[in-house]
Amino acid sequence: MTESQLQKLLGSADPDPGCDHSGELMDAYCELVARGEPLPDRFAEFVTHIANCTACREDTEGLLAALREQEESGTG
Amino acid sequence: MNTVALDRESAEWLRDLQGNGGAREHAIARLHALLLRVARGEAARRRATLPDRALEDVDDLCVQAASDALMAVLAKLDTYRGAARFTTWACKFAILETSTRLRRHAWRQQKVELDDTIWNRLPDAAPPALQRLENDQLIDALHRAVDDHLTERQRLIFQSVTMDDVPIDVLAERLGTSRGAIYKTLHDARGKLRQALIEAGHGGRVS
Repeated sequence: MTESQLQKLLGSADPDPGCDHSGELMDAYCELVARGEPLPDRFAEFVTHIANCTACREDTEGLLAALREQEESGTG
Repeated sequence: MNTVALDRESAEWLRDLQGNGGAREHAIARLHALLLRVARGEAARRRATLPDRALEDVDDLCVQAASDALMAVLAKLDTYRGAARFTTWACKFAILETSTRLRRHAWRQQKVELDDTIWNRLPDAAPPALQRLENDQLIDALHRAVDDHLTERQRLIFQSVTMDDVPIDVLAERLGTSRGAIYKTLHDARGKLRQALIEAGHGGRVS
């Protein structure tokens, strides 16, 4: 079993606040990433969560893609 | 979360949406157009993950998602604290509504059930012999831990999400609960399994 398979099965043992709390941070996280700014420590658990949760990771990628599209089209 | 000083554009959105009359109607129309564009963009981004039979319904799903996202934003205006721009905060609702609909739509004709043959698909295709032995031992220990330590519901959720790639939104719909509740069950199950594997001598791989 590869490390990535094991990660997919068991996730990380680091603190993970779950989907609801992470959803509250998703917009601020995406803006920081879109601007290329360093992430403050308060996003550490959010980062753990999106590594553990496929749906929240996909949604974060979706919001980031929307921000980038808005930036490129000048509608952001 | 603390309220922060809003940027000018976000403050204008909030003022117009919380106001009355024509300015509010105009702001709602602009917001709906933005949310619909985001919904369609997300659907286009996910197009490759959708089965062919689902494609013809996608635009209807986007329209529904944008309408529900608009309702959610308007209902939650007083919870907006300015941690991100207003439009980013609002677009988050469009992404969540769209992705949930697309996942459920893609899975609507598939069953979600416990499948024990899935354990046979876990090993690497062709690992070196020593690694294969270690893998077999770890997989056996994990399979035992699932059988011995998880409840029936935890087992269904763990195997469906991590081994069968069932989206948690789909499981939430089928089991009549929320995404957050499904994830909590998964998180607890993973914790039990990690502990069981450590106790079985596999701490070097899982801790």
